[in-house]
Amino acid sequence: MTLNPAFRWVLVLTVLVCTVLLCLGIGEEWINPFAANGQDAVILWELRWPRLLIAFSVGGLLALAGAWFQVLLGNPLAEPYVLGVAGSASVGAVAGLMIYPESAVVMSIGAFAGAWLGISIVMAFSHLGSGRMLLAGVVLAAFWSALLSLLLALLPKSGLGLAFSWMMGDLSHSDLPIPLLLLSWIVALGCGLLLSRSLDALLLGERHAEALGVEVKKQRNRLLLLASAVTAIAVTAAGTIGFVGLVVPHLMRLMFGSLHRAVLPASAIGGGILLMLADSVARTIVAPSELPVGVLTAMLGVPVFLFLLLRRS
Amino acid sequence: MNELIQASNLCLQRGNRQLLSGFSFSIQAGKITVILGPNGAGKSSLLLALAGLIPADGELLLNGVAITGYKRHELARDVAWQGELPPTEFGLTVKQRLLLAHGEDDCDMPPAALAMEIEDLLNRPLAELSSGERQRVELAALMLREAPVWLLDEPTTHLDLRHQAHCLKMMKKQAASGRTIVTVLHDLQQAAAVADSVILIDGNGSAQCGPANRMLTIGRLSTLFDTPLIGQGKLLIPDYGDGA
Repeated sequence: MTLNPAFRWVLVLTVLVCTVLLCLGIGEEWINPFAANGQDAVILWELRWPRLLIAFSVGGLLALAGAWFQVLLGNPLAEPYVLGVAGSASVGAVAGLMIYPESAVVMSIGAFAGAWLGISIVMAFSHLGSGRMLLAGVVLAAFWSALLSLLLALLPKSGLGLAFSWMMGDLSHSDLPIPLLLLSWIVALGCGLLLSRSLDALLLGERHAEALGVEVKKQRNRLLLLASAVTAIAVTAAGTIGFVGLVVPHLMRLMFGSLHRAVLPASAIGGGILLMLADSVARTIVAPSELPVGVLTAMLGVPVFLFLLLRRS
Repeated sequence: MNELIQASNLCLQRGNRQLLSGFSFSIQAGKITVILGPNGAGKSSLLLALAGLIPADGELLLNGVAITGYKRHELARDVAWQGELPPTEFGLTVKQRLLLAHGEDDCDMPPAALAMEIEDLLNRPLAELSSGERQRVELAALMLREAPVWLLDEPTTHLDLRHQAHCLKMMKKQAASGRTIVTVLHDLQQAAAVADSVILIDGNGSAQCGPANRMLTIGRLSTLFDTPLIGQGKLLIPDYGDGA
C-alpha cells in the first residue's frame, strides 16, 4: 500500500470509532448510542460498553502477544498459543471446575495458574534457542491436550457446559475487572514500544541482532515473559480465542511496514477492532443465544492462515 | 606497529571438533587480513569469535581490552560483522534494513546505496531480491556502520563480477582510510589482490598468520587445500590436470 503514514493512522482510528459505535448499537435490538434512554441506556452502559471494553482489550492483548511471538520464534505463523499456553490454561480451568464445578471464578483462577505453569515449563527451554523452544512448545501442547481430555472425561456433568464454553472462547464469563484489562493493554503496549528497537533488530535474526548491539538473551527472555503474561491475562479473561494473534499483526505489517514502533500500536488497536466485531456478531447472529466468539475468529482465521501458508511457500 | 586485535593461545571448538588449538596472532589497524582455509575449517567461527558472537578459550583483545569485557552495545560500536543473509519472512524493505543497521530513524543513505548500486531497490522488500542484490544490501548496511573494525564473511559471495570488483575496491578504500578489515574469502586471486596479511586455517586445529607475500605461495596453499595449484605471479588456480 502506498498510503501516507498519517492517513493510515487516521484510517485505523476512524475504523475504531465506527466499530465502537456499530458494536454499541447492534444487539438483539438496535440502540442509537447517541440517544439511548431508560432501559436502552441501561443495556448500553451496563451490558454493551463493558463487553466492548473486554473485547477491545483482550483482542489488543492477543494481537500484541502474536506480534511478539512471531518475532521471538522467527516464524510469521506463530501465535500466542503456539507454546502450549492455551492447553495448560485449559487444563488449569478444567482442574478448577473439578473442585467447584459451577464456579467461573475458580475456573479463571485455575486458568491463570495453568497458563503460568505452562509458561514456566517453556521458559526452562528458552536458553536452547527459538527453534527448540518452539519444538518444546508443540510437544507440551500435545501433552496438555491429552491431560485435558483425561480431565474432561472425569469432570462432573455440571461443569461441562462452562468448560466447553470457556475453551471455545467466550467473553460473557470474564471475571477479570475491566480496569485491570485496560491497564494491561496500556502497560503491554508501553513495554512493547520500549522494546521495539530490539524487536526490529530481531527481524534480522538473533545473530544479526546481537551484532547490532542487542543483548539477545536478555531481551528475548523479557519479551517471552511479557508475551506470556499478556497471553495468560487474555486467556484468563476470555478463554482460548484463536487466530486474532496470528492474523492482526500480519494485516498491520501489510499496512504499516515491518518496524514495531508502528506495528505494535496498530496491532493493539486492530486486535481490539477485530474482536469487538467478532463478539458483536457472536452475540447477535443467533440471539437471544450466543455463539462462542472463538468459533467466529477461527472461521475467519483458518482461511487467512492457509492463505498465508500458501503465499509463504 | 598498531596491533588492534591480539589473540593468544586461542582455542575454538564446534561440537566435539577442535577448530583452533592454541593459535596466537595479531591484526594491525588499517590493514586487510584475509582468512583462508578449506570448508568447515573454522574461518567463519573465527570471525564470530572476533565479533564476540561465540565464546572462545584463550585471550582475545580488542584495543588491549578483552572482547568478553565489552558490553554488547560497546562491541557493536567498534566492530561490524557481515555474515549470512538475514531472513526475509517479515517483509522488511531495503530501506528498513539499512535503517536497522544505522540504528537511527533516518540517515544519510544515498552514498552507501549508490556505492552498492541499490538506490533503485530502496522501497522493495528483501524477499523480492536476488541473493546477489541482497548481498549488496548487506554491504551497504555495513557501510552505514561507523565501526572501525569490519568482519566480513565471504563478502563477494553471490555477487557478479562487476560487483565483486566494487566490493574489493571498497574494502581497499576503507582500509586506506584507516578501517581494519578481517575477511573470509575463497577466491585466491581476490585474496592476493586485497590482503596485507593472511590467516591460514587447516581444519585440524592449527593455523598460521603472516604477511600476504609470505603466506600466499603455491606450496602453502596446495598443502592447505590438499590440491595441486599452478600459477604465475599472483594468479593461482587449481591444476585441473588438462595440461592448461
